[in-house]
Amino acid sequence: MTAAATRIPGAGRARARRRLEPIFWYILLSLVAVVTVFPFAWMLLTSLKGPTDEIFSVPPQLLPGHPTLANYGAVLDQLPVPKFFLNSIIVGVAVTILNVLVAALAAYPLAKLRFFGREAIFYLLLGTIIVPAQLTYIPSFVMAVNVFHYYDSLPALILPNLASAFNIFLLRQAFRGVPNDLMDAARMDGASELRIWWSILLPVIRPSLAAVAIFTFVTSWNDFLWPSLMLHTREGMTLPVGLVALQGFFSSDFRSIAAGVTMTVVPIIIFFMIFQRQFVRGLAGAVKG
Amino acid sequence: MTRRLSLTPYLFLVPALALVAIFVIYPIGAVVYYSFTEYDIITTPQWVGLKNYEHLIADPTFWKALTNSVVYLVATPIVIVLAILLALVVNRRLPGISLFRALYFVPAVSGSIAIGISWRWLFERNGMINSILISTGILHEPVQWLTNPDFVLPIAIMLTVWAGIGYYAVIFLAGLQNIPEELYDAARIDGCNDWQKHWHVSLPGLRPQIVFVAVISALAALKVFDEIYVLTNHTGGVLESGTTIVFYLWRQAFVLSHAGYASAIAIALLLVTLVFSIVLVRVLERGTEAA
Repeated sequence: MTAAATRIPGAGRARARRRLEPIFWYILLSLVAVVTVFPFAWMLLTSLKGPTDEIFSVPPQLLPGHPTLANYGAVLDQLPVPKFFLNSIIVGVAVTILNVLVAALAAYPLAKLRFFGREAIFYLLLGTIIVPAQLTYIPSFVMAVNVFHYYDSLPALILPNLASAFNIFLLRQAFRGVPNDLMDAARMDGASELRIWWSILLPVIRPSLAAVAIFTFVTSWNDFLWPSLMLHTREGMTLPVGLVALQGFFSSDFRSIAAGVTMTVVPIIIFFMIFQRQFVRGLAGAVKG
Repeated sequence: MTRRLSLTPYLFLVPALALVAIFVIYPIGAVVYYSFTEYDIITTPQWVGLKNYEHLIADPTFWKALTNSVVYLVATPIVIVLAILLALVVNRRLPGISLFRALYFVPAVSGSIAIGISWRWLFERNGMINSILISTGILHEPVQWLTNPDFVLPIAIMLTVWAGIGYYAVIFLAGLQNIPEELYDAARIDGCNDWQKHWHVSLPGLRPQIVFVAVISALAALKVFDEIYVLTNHTGGVLESGTTIVFYLWRQAFVLSHAGYASAIAIALLLVTLVFSIVLVRVLERGTEAA
């Protein structure tokens, strides 16, 4: 594209370049978009193909010749996909709300109050960021069976994920950006620390809370290894665990697997298209370093 | 700042500290203990001293897994460079740009399992990738991508990078939008072209985001499991070609019920993570001093 632009001679060159430049960018943007969306687009197209449509051919057949929803029916007949969704939503929402609440509570004194052991507690929490979660899975498994008795149930995915040192760290940064005058004025009026935290500080750091909440939700939504250890009853599975069950169930029926993947991916994509703006804005505030 | 309230700060911290104690601190202690025992998760652990660690040092699969996990770290610099380039592109004010940004974010939210399954079918023997390569004349014979030990790990790394670019680009984009416009104006007055402008203004301005992304993507790379699990159909690949530390830990603990031995692997994982974190923090500190 730039080569084409420079070929135009003389005075018109700059103007032509200005006109062609956006076209160059759009072509580049579209190419990247094709690369990012292609595997899912291929899944969507395959999921609509009938039994007579080619799925493995040279050259590849992109569009379904005889579009059908039968593959979706086959998946829904065999696996409780709506239940997978419901379970993922329950876990995601519970983890997000409680985790952000716990993190916001812990982050406030670490950012704004002086007390004995503050640095020690902060570095202890910070240190746990580098502890890989998988390290804890063996003892957590034993506890799930012997202590908490929540093996094969959703609380097993919620309770161990309620404290995130990472979220505490990000929210501490956010609290530190709030001027002390705000809190001092409220203290003069006799407000309790809990009240100051809830009605003055939390509203101020709302963009950071939103970013941390979205991070937490995506992580929970996509979490696989721990849920796969905990969940065995089909009705109780979350989406990623259910998808692996689906892959096993339909092993070589690519059309049905494609239908299953499409069903699970499309809603979350729509969800994030809607919240995209909050996400970008929240991130801008959260990662200032 | 003198405080009359003395107990309040601790009350705020109680929920977080209690959870961390139960689900992080205690498990670390338990894993250290299990690593000195023979344990199948069901019966009582039997103390065996250093046997698991002796076994570990002599276990070629462990070294293979460790190597694969360290190799996986190449995903970090690749994803950082590509995500910054993408952020620079989508930072332009073009109509419809937010649609593109949203599209690039699709892999980040769709989850590693859905991604792994989708790509696995693309890389099948008679899948899309071979089909395209054959019909364009690049290949004459289909390649067995996922059963060839040379390809499994690179494909998994490619998937991780592919899924991460849009995600991290959002972080870099946020960073770019925080850089004051005056700095770019000043660079323009000094006669910088587009590339020099980004080199002298954008890149230093993105330092906090680069550090952040380097840390989280490196920690994620050391813990890779899902992509390997799906791409190799939970085998770890031919000749353990895709086996990472976490994958090996999972197999020993939850497939073979060697929880004692798996605990020793977990300790090794912790040490490796610790070493890389210290290296990263060092680099981070040097970076901020220079800034």
